[in-house]
Amino acid sequence: MTTTAETAPVPVGPGLSMFDPIFVGIDEFGQHVNITLAYRNLLAGGEPGGGKSGLLNTIAAHAALSVDSRLVLLDGKLVELGQWEDCADAFIGPDITAALDVLKRLQLVMNNRYAWLRAHGRRKLTAADGLSVITVLVDEIAFYSATVGTKQEQEEFVALLRDLVARGRAAGIPVVAATQRPSFDIIPTSLRDLFGYRAAFRCTTPNSSNIVLGHGWAEQGYTATDIQPTNQGAAYLIAEGGVPRRIKVAYLTDAQIAGIADYAAWTRRPRRLPTLVPDLTRVDFGMAA
Amino acid sequence: MSKSSPRRPFGGKSNGTITVIEAKVHRSSARNARLAFILTAVIAGLLAAVVAASSIHPILALFVGALIGVPLGGLAWVLVRIWPVLRVLWWWTPEIGITTLVGAGWVQLANHTTTPVTLLVVALVVGVPAAIPATRRAVLAWAWCLVVRHRLRVCFAQFIIANQSGSLPLILWARPTPVGERVWVYLRPGLSLADLEGRLDRIAVACHASTALIERASDGNAAYLRFDIKRREVLTAQVGSPLVDVIDPGTPVTDRPTPAVPTALDLPDVDVPTVTLPAQKKPATSANGSKPAASTSPDTDDVSDWI
Repeated sequence: MTTTAETAPVPVGPGLSMFDPIFVGIDEFGQHVNITLAYRNLLAGGEPGGGKSGLLNTIAAHAALSVDSRLVLLDGKLVELGQWEDCADAFIGPDITAALDVLKRLQLVMNNRYAWLRAHGRRKLTAADGLSVITVLVDEIAFYSATVGTKQEQEEFVALLRDLVARGRAAGIPVVAATQRPSFDIIPTSLRDLFGYRAAFRCTTPNSSNIVLGHGWAEQGYTATDIQPTNQGAAYLIAEGGVPRRIKVAYLTDAQIAGIADYAAWTRRPRRLPTLVPDLTRVDFGMAA
Repeated sequence: MSKSSPRRPFGGKSNGTITVIEAKVHRSSARNARLAFILTAVIAGLLAAVVAASSIHPILALFVGALIGVPLGGLAWVLVRIWPVLRVLWWWTPEIGITTLVGAGWVQLANHTTTPVTLLVVALVVGVPAAIPATRRAVLAWAWCLVVRHRLRVCFAQFIIANQSGSLPLILWARPTPVGERVWVYLRPGLSLADLEGRLDRIAVACHASTALIERASDGNAAYLRFDIKRREVLTAQVGSPLVDVIDPGTPVTDRPTPAVPTALDLPDVDVPTVTLPAQKKPATSANGSKPAASTSPDTDDVSDWI
């Protein structure tokens, strides 16, 4: 093992937890908007440039700095979540085969965790269990479910993701997915409706807003069409309250993301993984299979 | 006056449709007042007579009851007759109160000080809040609250038909919010949240606002609503994340292996599909036998390439 010339000792992490409320922005009253993601799934939608990646990066930053957290990132564009690659346990680019692999691994973990919970006579994971919350962030879900791969692979991706969204809640595997317009031809309604939390960034039509937030909200006055195109990061969020709240999502610049990602990577693993065990993920997968 | 299909009072078999045509019964103010007079007089008179009968002769007690009941009935009659005026006074109570206070203050000030001092005090009282942005905004916001309550009442009176007696919802407290105003309203029978949600755009227009939202203000009472009138966009500034402050600024940059930098970054650099696509057409057409001469003259342009 090579000893690296580190001038500063490795710091203790900030001690955040995925069971803590995650700061996502402020509301119209200037109050902080916090969501607890450990037992929830979040779907973000809206037109390009609306601020979806800002929300994903804010959540990824919290997850990266959390002690009990693992990150699984699926990013068809590579750049939205690419800066978190060093903190993530899996970072999947535009490769549906790799995406299917990682989803199958997650499914296996989920099954094992449920078996573990059953063995202990419990119904859901808690912060006291010491198990990590595996946050699955999917940017551009449409890329995997409707663009790349064969029809069969796309269907398998949707089926695996639906299973994660449906069953992952109590096993500590929350899914945060973003796409521009989650209509039925992009992701099945059966998958879309499973997401409990919704964030609608600017939409061009009330119907698009309804698709993200849920049917009927536009008629009640909650439509993301009234967000100005120049107001990036403004969104309607349905979370704990059950009623859409107008929020402004916190924004991290590239430099800030790089800083947090470096810090998180430093606290998580002072030396890069490949220098210790090359291709650790594949080894794990081989053993599990 | 009401008219309906043949009556089937206790859930008898109906043919599916029941037409109920209710003529609008406008109870006039006079009729209401008469009713109030009779009811109050009779009830108060009887009660008084019963109480009085315990100490005096019942016939005398009846006279006593009449003496007490009739004036009380008269009071009720007067109240009902002037109720529209009382109602308007009640609606404008804040304005009347503020105007009275300001007027009284002005008179007292003018009576007790010289003119320059009076003007100086007025200039300070008006000028200082107007000059300080925070107080100016607060005063304006509360003024809008007064305006919005009246505008909402206009909505209910003009285009949201509530019920036959024309009773208006109770417009309760209003307070400023960063985006506009929030008003609590208690609905009277005849209206519901769903009725109002169909008229949000018109409510916004009537309140000189951008949008209006209505939510239930109570889980247990559907009549108790909260109106959010929005006239300003406040979420325009960029919001930072507190996570930036928890990290150590002296974090060493992670040594990432340099990824392979792709080259073909412009359209002319990527030329494979644009060349192969027309080439794939030829065998397909010749296979069908529609263009047998295409392969024999390779130098000439094939028309199908350009279609």
